[in-house]
Amino acid sequence: MQAYGIKISNLSKTFGRGDTAVHALKEVNMQVEPGEVVGLIGPSGSGKSTLLKCLGAIIEPSAGQMYLGDQLIYDNGWKISDLRALRRDKIGFVFQAPYLIPFLNTLDNVALLPMLAGKSNKEARQRALELLTVLQVEHRAHALPSRLSGGEQQRIAIARGLINRPPVILADEPTAALDSVRALTVIRTLNDIARDYNTAVIVVTHDDKIIPTFKRLYHIRDGITYEEQGQGREIL
Amino acid sequence: MISLAGRDILHAWGKFVFTGVGLGLLIGVTLTMAGVYRGMVDDAQVLLDNSAADLWVVQKDTLGPYAEPSNLPDDTWRAVANIPGVANASNVTYLTMQVSSASGETRALVTGIANSGPGSSGWPLRLLAGRQVSKNHYEAVADIASGFKLGDSIQIRRNRYLIVGLTKRMVSSSGDPMIFIPLLDAQQAQFLKSNDAIAQNRRRISQNPIFNNPRNPEVLDAVLDLQESNTQVNAVLVQLKAQAEPKQVAEDMRRWLRLQVYDREQMEQILVGKLIATSARQILMFLVILAVVSAAIVAFIIYTLTMGKIREIAVLKLIGTHNKSIISMIIQQALALGIIGFMVGKIAATVWAPFFPKYVLLVTQDTITGLIAVLGMCVLASFVAIYAALRVDPADAVGG
Amino acid sequence: MPEFFKQKKLLAVFATMALLAAGFIWVLLSSGPLAKIKIVVTEVQEQRLEPALFGIGTVAARYNYRIASNNVGRATTLNADVGDKVEAGEILGIIDVVDLDEKINAQAALVERNKAQLNEAQTRLDYTGKQAERYRKLLPSRSVSEELDASKQHEWILARSQMRSATSELVRAQAEHLGLLALREDRYLRAPVSGLIIARHIDQGATVLAGQTVFELIDPQQLWIDVRFDQAGSMLLAEQQPTQIILRSQELQPHTGYVARLEWLADAVTEERRAKVMFTQQPNPAPSIGELAEVTVQLPQLASTPVIANAAIMRQAGTLGVWLLDDQQPFFQPVRIGRSDLAGNVQILSGLSAGQQVVLYSSKPLTTNSRVKRVKQLADTP
Repeated sequence: MQAYGIKISNLSKTFGRGDTAVHALKEVNMQVEPGEVVGLIGPSGSGKSTLLKCLGAIIEPSAGQMYLGDQLIYDNGWKISDLRALRRDKIGFVFQAPYLIPFLNTLDNVALLPMLAGKSNKEARQRALELLTVLQVEHRAHALPSRLSGGEQQRIAIARGLINRPPVILADEPTAALDSVRALTVIRTLNDIARDYNTAVIVVTHDDKIIPTFKRLYHIRDGITYEEQGQGREIL
Repeated sequence: MISLAGRDILHAWGKFVFTGVGLGLLIGVTLTMAGVYRGMVDDAQVLLDNSAADLWVVQKDTLGPYAEPSNLPDDTWRAVANIPGVANASNVTYLTMQVSSASGETRALVTGIANSGPGSSGWPLRLLAGRQVSKNHYEAVADIASGFKLGDSIQIRRNRYLIVGLTKRMVSSSGDPMIFIPLLDAQQAQFLKSNDAIAQNRRRISQNPIFNNPRNPEVLDAVLDLQESNTQVNAVLVQLKAQAEPKQVAEDMRRWLRLQVYDREQMEQILVGKLIATSARQILMFLVILAVVSAAIVAFIIYTLTMGKIREIAVLKLIGTHNKSIISMIIQQALALGIIGFMVGKIAATVWAPFFPKYVLLVTQDTITGLIAVLGMCVLASFVAIYAALRVDPADAVGG
Repeated sequence: MPEFFKQKKLLAVFATMALLAAGFIWVLLSSGPLAKIKIVVTEVQEQRLEPALFGIGTVAARYNYRIASNNVGRATTLNADVGDKVEAGEILGIIDVVDLDEKINAQAALVERNKAQLNEAQTRLDYTGKQAERYRKLLPSRSVSEELDASKQHEWILARSQMRSATSELVRAQAEHLGLLALREDRYLRAPVSGLIIARHIDQGATVLAGQTVFELIDPQQLWIDVRFDQAGSMLLAEQQPTQIILRSQELQPHTGYVARLEWLADAVTEERRAKVMFTQQPNPAPSIGELAEVTVQLPQLASTPVIANAAIMRQAGTLGVWLLDDQQPFFQPVRIGRSDLAGNVQILSGLSAGQQVVLYSSKPLTTNSRVKRVKQLADTP
């Protein structure tokens, strides 16, 4: 396994300029090891979504450094030209809502990326089915997303995030729309994946049900991160 | 490779087809409008085709016989036939009038044809049923658009005519069906007033001592006879010998016979350029507006279709889909919509065209132009949608 | 369930697409340049045509008598009116010349006077003759002078002249008297033949001019039809040919007749030939004079030739011809046509032979590239 992880130092992000400038991120320092699941919590407006977008290469930070594994992707400026390829190959996204493509069935939703990238449909679907099996939703492989439950949908979304075996998974409130049993199932899945695939996982949340499960947490408040030790409670 | 467009269409097939059908009906209306315009022009053309003439000899300084009244003595054709280059010349009369039969009445262009046999100028070019006129009185060949049937007996002025043949697409420039009757009858019909009018006229003349002179009772009869006979025709149709030069022959006639002569080109100019010009331009204008409106609606439909999927597009972008895939999805959908719409439109236009009271001519050229325009429009419209899709920030998918 | 749903959906998709495609193909094949032109085909027959000539005419009386007065006078009595049947010689009316009787009386007196003058001349002739004879006898005896004898001879000659003059004068007066008497006799308008009064131009008491027609008389048993035939095709028209006559008032009841006279004078203006057609048996009731009649003359049968319906004849680039089918592919065959009959059959003099299939009707103009489809009929025919 490669020693991928996330390392952020002195990252800041300012929207606007002059008097109207908003300093969403002031000083962010973070490090996540491969195979580790880390929680990122903070009140509304604290900048956690902005941080996630920076990490996901969706918006550009203002200053600082970001490493994805050994690769420096940002150092006061993008170090990589094709951000979309970066997103596709290095980062798996899991969102608050699953955002599945409604006109594709479960299997094709998961297999979409490699199929669009020109891999053979059969190969991509094979891989997708494996992931669905891992996530225990293989029996829904041919159903349309609209026929799935919320937990199932979220797991499909996770499977989609994993299809390219990314070293990093960014999960934005993945359990917000779920009851506690399903929420815990999703977190356990993420933990399993982190362990099995040696993936660094960041879960942005303010869900009290799952906060106790993290071994390590980052608090973000007014654009500044504070690291703290979590309870690391076992999920049964 | 997976076809996103195909999967999306398949997923929302009903909606897609209904949108396509709606769009198709609109395209059908546009195609029909083009057909109406072509039909109008074609009405004028077939009138000229059907006369089977190379030259039209009409009264001097008139645009006759279709656009303006024209009268010639009915022996003019002899002089015309003597001009070098003329193969044959025949009299013809045209009279637009109401023709009635037991089953109803219709407006028709009653054409008097000289007794020169089938294939002569002025005669119906070909029949759909029955036969050509073979008696020189009281027989008629009618266009099927008149609604008359073989064996019907129709009333033109005072006389009854037996329908012996039916034609198709023999119409006047305004689309009225033509009815062919022998020339002598037509001349009479053209002049014949109602019996009351004739009686009144006779009374009036007989009270005039100049005409009703007791010393010479024959004068009255002669005058009345003169008043009630008609030796005029509307035009002489001329067919030329193969090697004759129409312009030259026409010039000879103008010069020596002091008559107005038109060749096919000039006649077309008169009919299309003068007679139906305004109404045709009216239709054309409407067609242009309809085409623009259709184009706008196509653009709007495709834009809406894309905007309905903007969230999915944002997700696709977020998870790293190439722009290429998104563009091709939008364009493929737009083209599919255009093709379905075009097919529905073409079918619709063909199905409802025969129900129009006047001729609707769906030209292949127009159909092809229509197809290209529709597809071009779809591509153009999808550019707007593509621009909107590409501008979508993937961050929108993540939310606040 | 989802699988089933998906299959149903696929079915719907294919069904709609098939429907659309079928509709579109139907449209392409049924209209536009790919569409087949529907034609009706007929066979060339070998046949002897019985041509006929159709003409219209008006009923006319063969003889029309116009009875006029020779004098200027007043119609004091008119015995007959329109519709009366009269016998030959019957007095139809009297034209009264106002002073005719007085003129006759004056003329009679003049005759008497001339007779008296004649007597006087005779007496004088007798006397002068005797005197001249006596003086001639006395002359040799020299009892009278020669001069006196010459004078008596001269008187006698004069008396003889006077005598001749008086005789002539009497003859003249008598002749004039007779003339006036004849004129008086002529005030009677007499029917020249037995017949029917068809017009009375004046009423009783009116003044007529010399030569003015008073009555028109016809023989109702001598009606015929003044028919005009088209000059084209009238070559075979001959006297005594049988005809069928349809009177406008008796449309459903045809009459028979025959060509009674072919006029030598044709109508140059209307390009028609004129003929008179008699009824074989006069219709009863008799038709009115001037009534419209349709006359069909049966002409002699023609020699047997190929025959087609006139609807098949087209003109293509100035040439008459017909469309033939060569293995479903139409081609144009120029023909020469001959005479035709009233049923629309035309003789083919050259270009076709019996048994060939020619295109009778077509829904669109044919070209040599047209794709055609044979059908039974193109329009409803009763």
